[in-house]
Amino acid sequence: MNELEIKQGLKDFLCSNLGIEADALEYDTPLFSEGIGLDSIDSLEIIAYVDSTYGVSMTGVGKEHFYNIESLTAYIVAHA
Amino acid sequence: MTNDNKRCVITGLGMICAIGNNVDECWDSALRSVSGIAHTKTVDTVNCYADYAAEVHCDELDGPDTNNMDRVSKLCIKAASEAMSDAGLPKFNGDPRCSVIIGSCVGGVVSIEKYYTEAKKPEYIKQMPISAIASQVAGAVNAGGVVTNVANACAAGTISIAYASDLIRDGKADIVVAGGADAFASVPYAGFISLHALSSDPCSPFNHSSGLTLGEGAGIVIVESYEHAKARGAKMYCEVLGSGISSDAHHITAPRPDGAGQMSAICRALSNSGVTESDIGYVNAHGTGTAKNDEAEFLSLHTIFDGKNKDLSVSSTKALTGHCLGAAGAIEAVFAIKALTQNVVPPTVGYSPEDIKALADKAGDIDFCPNKPRSKQLNTVMNNSFAFGGNNASIIFGKNKGDVRVQDKKSNVYITGIGAVTPLGNGVERYIEVCTNDEKITEQSARSSVASDDYDSVGLKMAFYRKLDRFSQLQAVSGMQALANAKYEITPGNASDIGIIVGTSEGALGPGCDFEIQIAERGNAAGSAFKFPNTVYNAAGGYLSICSGIRGYNVTVTNGAQSGLFSIAYATDVIRSGEEKAMLASGTDENSDIMDELYRGLGLVSDKAVALYGFDSQAFALSDGSVSLMLESEESAELRQADKFCRIAGLGSGHAGVSFGTLAGSGKALDAAVIAAIKDAGLSLDDIDAVIGFANGHETIDRIEVDSYYRVFGSAMNNIPIISVKERMGEGRASAAALGVAHGALLLHGDIKKENSAFAIDKVGKAKRKPLKCDGLKNILVTSFGAGGSYCAIVISKD
Repeated sequence: MNELEIKQGLKDFLCSNLGIEADALEYDTPLFSEGIGLDSIDSLEIIAYVDSTYGVSMTGVGKEHFYNIESLTAYIVAHA
Repeated sequence: MTNDNKRCVITGLGMICAIGNNVDECWDSALRSVSGIAHTKTVDTVNCYADYAAEVHCDELDGPDTNNMDRVSKLCIKAASEAMSDAGLPKFNGDPRCSVIIGSCVGGVVSIEKYYTEAKKPEYIKQMPISAIASQVAGAVNAGGVVTNVANACAAGTISIAYASDLIRDGKADIVVAGGADAFASVPYAGFISLHALSSDPCSPFNHSSGLTLGEGAGIVIVESYEHAKARGAKMYCEVLGSGISSDAHHITAPRPDGAGQMSAICRALSNSGVTESDIGYVNAHGTGTAKNDEAEFLSLHTIFDGKNKDLSVSSTKALTGHCLGAAGAIEAVFAIKALTQNVVPPTVGYSPEDIKALADKAGDIDFCPNKPRSKQLNTVMNNSFAFGGNNASIIFGKNKGDVRVQDKKSNVYITGIGAVTPLGNGVERYIEVCTNDEKITEQSARSSVASDDYDSVGLKMAFYRKLDRFSQLQAVSGMQALANAKYEITPGNASDIGIIVGTSEGALGPGCDFEIQIAERGNAAGSAFKFPNTVYNAAGGYLSICSGIRGYNVTVTNGAQSGLFSIAYATDVIRSGEEKAMLASGTDENSDIMDELYRGLGLVSDKAVALYGFDSQAFALSDGSVSLMLESEESAELRQADKFCRIAGLGSGHAGVSFGTLAGSGKALDAAVIAAIKDAGLSLDDIDAVIGFANGHETIDRIEVDSYYRVFGSAMNNIPIISVKERMGEGRASAAALGVAHGALLLHGDIKKENSAFAIDKVGKAKRKPLKCDGLKNILVTSFGAGGSYCAIVISKD
């Protein structure tokens, strides 16, 4: 799976499962900022999605890797 | 000192949980420090990091009378029967002075699981909503007064007892069977797994605080007016003093780290009881064992009691019973009352010698009673519960009668704002347009929708509303609309002067089923942490508190469609009692693919247009929505120079127990509700100019309504028009009930000038449409029903 597919998969997941409106979410949009407003419950969902989809565990991983879709993708690519 | 006519006492106790099947067994286990927590074998634990639970083992739950009920009702009826027997009470014979208030978090969750994992049987559908519990308990004890469920998650049991004592002090009941119940099942287990909130070891409150352990059970207290108990020579355990309820306005699952919401509830309870911090000998704490709860609760307890009470004992009995969710507050109230009357503090179990050393630093002057009970003279005790949605509740029991705050002069209550989300559009202006144009829904299963325009209009951002399930979204928009329509601005100065009552028939049943579908397919390890918080019925009220900043009273009530009317009556009573200056009262229910399937499964959704008062259908048009009303005391409305739509003049309730999910045979309870509301308004029958009714086209329901009015009003009914909001909007359940009052308010205020959806109905039920001119209307009666035989009636008046 290439980076672009991972990014699109993450975006689809965030929109359909965490209620984010697609037009407000770019790959570089900060996820835990005021606009999107992800919190600790949402990060549990992201961890579960990444684990089940890519087999990559993000439990206990530093929050900088959750910054946006690009940083999540980079972590997945590096650890898949 | 509290006057004898305002005293409430506890005259009976009942309990069932993992450490015993009755009060004596539970108390004996507690004093022997025996925990009921063990590895569970009743739910799927594959790939789950925690598998402890505290489950009930009782072979006396099934009987001929409880055969078709959910486990939660069986647990509750077991405890209620014990409490009735302990109080020396026979069944109530339909007495309207005898009520039932039951708290629950997850309701008929075992039936939800059976429906999705065994078979899609109609009998499981009927047992799913929380509404079934109080209705079935009321049937078991044959109560005829106010019957409802409090659905405030883990604070529900405590709030139920608080509300029960308020009803008695308000003169609306002599005896209330009050408490809470919840059953252990996959939905709560997988939900707390998803949140990583379960401990992988038995929970260890105020100690390791590594998470909670779920329990199950029921706790019931018989709350009785002192004078009633004295007259019948009843044994009295103790006094119920004051209580306090507050909202955090912070987060849907986590408590405020500064403990401010908890402290607000505790301080309200102290103040309402007329006691001080130093009077409290024992606190049965919420003490779940999660880090966030325990940290906030340590902070609250130290902030309130340090320096004012050097001999305070605190324990969490959840280390014995697990966290019994909606039953927790009630079970813990029974423990607190036993502690008070036996002069023994039950322990917080699970401490090693090292833990006890570590506790000393955190505990300060407070004794957390590690591992062993402590004998101690007790005169006043407190029970605290803090729930999802940021709901906090505190209640005080005492050997002495205290100085309970009572409002002697009851305030007039006015409607000063309206919010409406309906299948035909949103906002009060749009609703007036719908009525003026005589628009009607055309589908037999209609849904409201809220879009970004609606959110923008009330200042809600995507970062907030994306977290809400649809039920909560409808509620958030209508609630914020009502505040805006009233021009009521929430500020730090008034945030605690206003509260919220949400009434709902099915509440978060849809999100609960949605969560169950997911775990049934993928296992209990695969529950969604995002979705789980929205499976509790009070999530909608919690979100409304968060987005509005409201930090006062916050209760979610559920008992059928009439919940949307009952919430207005309840909120009116809160203002009349002086507890709040203003309240948002809502009726909200959602239609969704899941709710549509469930209603169709019961054969209740019509496949063609249904004529109201046609008496030829066994189904109706299902719809949804949310209607919120801003209610204010006269003083508050005058001070703000608010535009007053109308006055809430009279309130009435009635219950006649019939099988839950049915209504036939219960009509006399509607008579009682109507007569009580008109009497409470200080009016006579001939003062009523119009009725806004609850007919939805289902023959049984329409017939009960018409027959009741003719029994109550006699031939005068020939000239009293019956107005329908459901003809336009369908059976929106609680939203339709609240819409009835909103519609009446708009008629009395002159915003709706002509009423096309009005009927003249003769005694045999022949209905004629009779458009109504509205300028002469002064007093309107609004009615609604709840499956199982509960009714509510409200009179609104033009002043």
